Amino acid sequence: MTRLADPAAASSHPQRAQGSVALSLVRRGERNALAGLRQAGALKVLFPRPAGSGVEAVLINTAGGITGADAFSLDARAGTATRLTLTTQAAERAYRALPREVARVENRLSADAGARLCWLPQETILYDGSALSRRLRIDLAEGASLLMAEPLVFGRTAMGETLADATFRDRIEIRRNGRLAYLDAITLSGRVSEKLARPFTAAGAGAMASLVYVAPDAEAALAAVRSLLGDTAGASLRESDMLVLRLLAADGYLLRQTLIPVLNCLAGEPLPRCWTI
Amino acid sequence: MATDAPVPMPTEEQALILAQWFSPAYPVGGFAYSHGLEQAVHAGRVSCGESLADWLTDVLSHGSGQSDARFLAAAGRAADATALHEVETMCRAFAPSRERLLETRLQGAAFCDVTSRVWGLDLADLSYPVAVGQAARLLGLPLALTARLYLLAFAGNLVSAAQRLLPLGQGAAQEILHRLHPLIGEIAERASGQGLEGLSSIAILGDICAMQHEIQEPRIFRT
Repeated sequence: MTRLADPAAASSHPQRAQGSVALSLVRRGERNALAGLRQAGALKVLFPRPAGSGVEAVLINTAGGITGADAFSLDARAGTATRLTLTTQAAERAYRALPREVARVENRLSADAGARLCWLPQETILYDGSALSRRLRIDLAEGASLLMAEPLVFGRTAMGETLADATFRDRIEIRRNGRLAYLDAITLSGRVSEKLARPFTAAGAGAMASLVYVAPDAEAALAAVRSLLGDTAGASLRESDMLVLRLLAADGYLLRQTLIPVLNCLAGEPLPRCWTI
Repeated sequence: MATDAPVPMPTEEQALILAQWFSPAYPVGGFAYSHGLEQAVHAGRVSCGESLADWLTDVLSHGSGQSDARFLAAAGRAADATALHEVETMCRAFAPSRERLLETRLQGAAFCDVTSRVWGLDLADLSYPVAVGQAARLLGLPLALTARLYLLAFAGNLVSAAQRLLPLGQGAAQEILHRLHPLIGEIAERASGQGLEGLSSIAILGDICAMQHEIQEPRIFRT
């Protein structure tokens, strides 16, 4: 098939990368064990620490980024009373896509009774011209707990890139016992940076994060979390055991300056290496 | 029940119902909520008519104005209890903070109570836009027009709140509201033709203000 030359998209990144990972954990006595693992295509998973009281899984996109028409999916299940932390080896870069091509990322996570799930990917960086449609679905059983944070960076802010023409669709759904408890959805297209420059959208912030913490001590943690936040962040208790947080920052570096202390406050265990700076 | 098509009502009668629902006298208690505006004023982000107009424009175009209009329209098309329940569940899950959830649930509950009583409808425990959309459906009121008046009442209530928070004259306040008419019309028309698939909110700083309001002292508004 002939393709029109688009150096940014075609030269350094293979087109139409596909990748999927499926994994599940079970509890065997005091230990967490991998009950199933399947990986295909450009998405791989590494386990940097020996499985013990919990499992840390690090996802690697071997295609080096995401561009138009790529498709990645993750299915991860934390079985009863297990502890699963998922992160990514690097920031995810959404590169310029060809016209009318949209990359898709589908992440489906679940935590069974008494399990603890942490979804702590590194930043997703949207390049100008990128087109990404992303969906994160998390199913929590009764008594399961969750810490999830999705950091997002709008353009390569260090080189002054703005998003003059990009498409980004994002949807985060958290179900508790089958009930939809949290829904966040963002649709941005066209002059994205211009829309985010408005005074009450993002006031020109180059990076944002959404965080959700579901655990019995969510209410107790609220005051401590709030004490870590500056003017452009807020936290709230949406349900008696569900804390939500939004954070804006000038760039990805400053976003981490606030996000890392918050994650440390809520994680209750050492963060994955990539989140320790 | 919703399965029976309502008897068509003359336009004039529809207009009166909508005017009554969205009058400040209708007991939904809108005056108690500032949607985070009180915090935006407190933090100096809104300090005059111009920054108020910016705040209102963003909340309408990118925040709960446009998403409420979608929930209203979706509830207005919900043909049975299951479909309505789904819209209601999404509306609650989409509330970005505790006070935003409180604001939509309490106004919705109050709207359900009084509207059920006056028009003999079966409405209970719905968020505000969902309650309005479903009531419009049960009475056969046009959804785009209902959404327009809903959004005008929403903006008008916030302009009134601003007058209690800022040195802003009555005339200037009404001019700001009037300038929003084309935007309100556009959002209402667009939302009434859309489903909930493209649901979106990017009024992030507006959400953050609403969260920060929870610990603001002193305060005169509940949100």
